[in-house]
Amino acid sequence: MIEECKSIETNHATAIALKNVSKSYKHFTLRDASFEVQAGTVAGLIGPNGAGKSTAMRLMMGLVHPDRGDVRLLGQSISSDQASARNDVGYFSEDMRLYKRESIAWHMQFIRSIFPSWDDHYASQLVERFGLVPEQKIKGLSHGQRVKSILLLILPRRPKLLILDEPTTGLDPVARQEIIGELMRAVEDETRTILFSSHNTQDVEKICDTITFIDRGRVIASQNRDDFLDQWRRIRLHVPADWKIPTECIASIESSHRNQCTLTLDRFNPQMTSTLESSGANVEAIERMTLEEIFVTSVMRGRGTNS
Amino acid sequence: MKNLKMIRILFLKDLFLSRWILFAYLIGGLASCAIGAIPNPTMGFISLILIVTVAVGAGMYLLGDLLIGEGSENTRSFIMSLPVSLRDYSLAKISVVLTVFMIPWVMMLAFSIFMIVVLPGEKLGAIPLTIVIFLELLAAFTVQLVAAAITESLGWTISVMVGCNVFFNVFLMTLMSRPEVSESAKSEVLSWPTLLAQVAGFELLTVVVAIAVALIFQSRKRDLV
Repeated sequence: MIEECKSIETNHATAIALKNVSKSYKHFTLRDASFEVQAGTVAGLIGPNGAGKSTAMRLMMGLVHPDRGDVRLLGQSISSDQASARNDVGYFSEDMRLYKRESIAWHMQFIRSIFPSWDDHYASQLVERFGLVPEQKIKGLSHGQRVKSILLLILPRRPKLLILDEPTTGLDPVARQEIIGELMRAVEDETRTILFSSHNTQDVEKICDTITFIDRGRVIASQNRDDFLDQWRRIRLHVPADWKIPTECIASIESSHRNQCTLTLDRFNPQMTSTLESSGANVEAIERMTLEEIFVTSVMRGRGTNS
Repeated sequence: MKNLKMIRILFLKDLFLSRWILFAYLIGGLASCAIGAIPNPTMGFISLILIVTVAVGAGMYLLGDLLIGEGSENTRSFIMSLPVSLRDYSLAKISVVLTVFMIPWVMMLAFSIFMIVVLPGEKLGAIPLTIVIFLELLAAFTVQLVAAAITESLGWTISVMVGCNVFFNVFLMTLMSRPEVSESAKSEVLSWPTLLAQVAGFELLTVVVAIAVALIFQSRKRDLV
């Protein structure tokens, strides 16, 4: 069973550190959330709708204040020095809006006046790649153009840390690919850190090095992406009627129908095959799982429901 | 104040966003005062009504659009993602709201006093009453500012605004029913009756306290979205 990440010691290479952070609303509570994102990595935060992804990201940005716990961005406490902590952070949220009566160009000029690091050349390239018209007013933009416009205001600042709350939600496949492509370009700079939330595991799987699952206000798993994919297996078995799962595999999720049994293992190792065979089961197939399957299984298990 | 640059940028940003409405209220305000120059008591009354309307309208827009609207339209998360603290944001926001309100307010007050001074038939004794009426409008706006900062609700702010408008009428009637005030307003000589001086002092105190309370509440908010 994957342990909830608690009591994480922070160090200088940590871009984001949440330590035992809790935040309660009337109908939702984020409980003791703890996880880290190492500098220079791309981290994915995956959760169903209402899981607490946006709350976690708002806490990171200091837009909401934690009831308890500590949030640090690039080594600085967000609660004690908001302005300084946000200096090297670019934040996008799905519900973020720009000034609808002003143009994209006006917003670019506004951001440029704040950040001396603003890269005009990169901004021009982005305008072209995103197919935006700088003179266009925000109120006339589609959802996809709005998302691109906000990213256009963030990326040319060259922030060290990007916190992106569901940037691909609600986009058509082409726009989604454009955004993902641009983020992949952004992470070519190995010093840059990205935290990317989504309920679309495919998007996260494409660009993320580490992945954190969150559900119902709890961090349920946090691991390297490749470890997730390497350690999870679905094993299809033909089993005798009185077959019992070996103790080595007891943490697995099981579903069975007549003599067919499917195990989902989160700490798979090849020795388990012989363990299962020696218990009387006939191993018919060992399948790798997709990130989505791992995510759904983790969520269901966290909720106490077998998949 | 270590983040003066950001406060200035946010202030100028809101001033720019308010440019058309500020221009409209300025023109409307000066036109309202100009109507009062017509030597007719009805026109004087209409001028007063229009001045109050401009002040209420400007206040309504500023609080609704610049203060409450930034939260309800989610532009605040864009601004608060920039290197700005809540204290900087609050200082910039309340400063710009007061500035945009006070530009037409100062112009209307100055224009009204100018007309009293230059127009034949106008009495200099009306100047203190004019100042007290304008200060009441300013005090009412700052009280509404407190309501907007605390509740972030357009509904509650409008309720306080309605209360302030009702109070304004009662205030004006009570003031004009006092002989020392009405006599002073008809005097050729500029003098401050004790009552008007006391009322003006109380209004200024209200303005200062209300701004301080609005700043405190705005900058102590824990959750911005």
